[in-house]
Amino acid sequence: MNLVQTVQQLISILTDVIPNYEDDFWSADTELFGAIAEFDSMAIVTIIGEIEEQFDVTFDDDDISAEHFSTVASLADLVFKYSR
Amino acid sequence: MINIKAEFFQGTQGKLFRLIRRPKHVQAHVLYLSPLFEQANQTRHMFTRSALNIYTQGLESIIFDHYGTGDSEGELTQASLTLWQQDIIAQLNEIKERSALPIILSISLSAALLLTHEILALTDGMILVQAEFNGKRFVQQFKRLALAAQLNKPAVKDPLFHNDELAIAGYVMKSQLLSQLSEQKIEKLSTIKQACCWFEWQATKSDLSPARAKLYQRFKEVLASENSPCHFYAIEDVKYWQSTEFEIAKQYLLDELHGLTTLLPAINGGTIGSITGSSSGVNKC
Repeated sequence: MNLVQTVQQLISILTDVIPNYEDDFWSADTELFGAIAEFDSMAIVTIIGEIEEQFDVTFDDDDISAEHFSTVASLADLVFKYSR
Repeated sequence: MINIKAEFFQGTQGKLFRLIRRPKHVQAHVLYLSPLFEQANQTRHMFTRSALNIYTQGLESIIFDHYGTGDSEGELTQASLTLWQQDIIAQLNEIKERSALPIILSISLSAALLLTHEILALTDGMILVQAEFNGKRFVQQFKRLALAAQLNKPAVKDPLFHNDELAIAGYVMKSQLLSQLSEQKIEKLSTIKQACCWFEWQATKSDLSPARAKLYQRFKEVLASENSPCHFYAIEDVKYWQSTEFEIAKQYLLDELHGLTTLLPAINGGTIGSITGSSSGVNKC
């Protein structure tokens, strides 16, 4: 899976967890942490769980940082790093 | 009109709040095991929908709050895994004392971590809803809530612990409770003999995720024999327990009824009355 595909799959996860945005809201540049009200700790952990299940990766707890969860692209970079 | 009764059941250490919906002609009893912590809040509305769903088919539902949670007595800090399990056993025994009809457990998400041999021995069937049998993973995810909550705050050394208690996402508990939960795994249930329905959320035409596929495979391995059939349902619907919005999984409610049409005859050898339901996708494992 390449980075573009990773972004698409991440957006699919995000729209499931945070369904009250139109499809065109989501892109690689969409800001997450601090920018979306629903992107709280519960949503973050839910998304981590879904990523780990769907990508068959295991995050380190140190990966839970504002930097990694700042945008869809930054999160995709993190997932891509683990899934390569 | 629905015949519903709210009551307090005397549990092992305190009274447990229960809602019982009892139809006129009961065919079986369904005891709903609430999942743990925030998952209990995220699933309660679907428990209610499910209970109403099965009521129409002559199934009595019992929904209760674990000790130290919801409207039951006690504090979460006084709860333990063993206590919660004893409370489940007490309720199963109470049902058996008043009825010879089948008892089915409805087990959603982390509620699977509560299962023991003794609990299963008192039941005739299981409805497993995206069951989580991996205690270590569940506890890791739960602890991550505390880490995620610290993202926009100054770093605090080990924010979780205060003496022997933990505070995560507003839930204060003994650290021992999470230790007990983290030790739970499917291998502890080495002889599952109950007929069951396994409901798994997955997109159409897509495979199970590797982690879920591994868990389901392990579950199949611990099924005792061909005499304990398990019907697998792929649910293509909203993961209501994850959504930040209030969601109803309508396909699950339909398939749940279908699952019961297969479960009860398997338990009773075909002697139970008929239940009507249709399904979009089921496989026998």
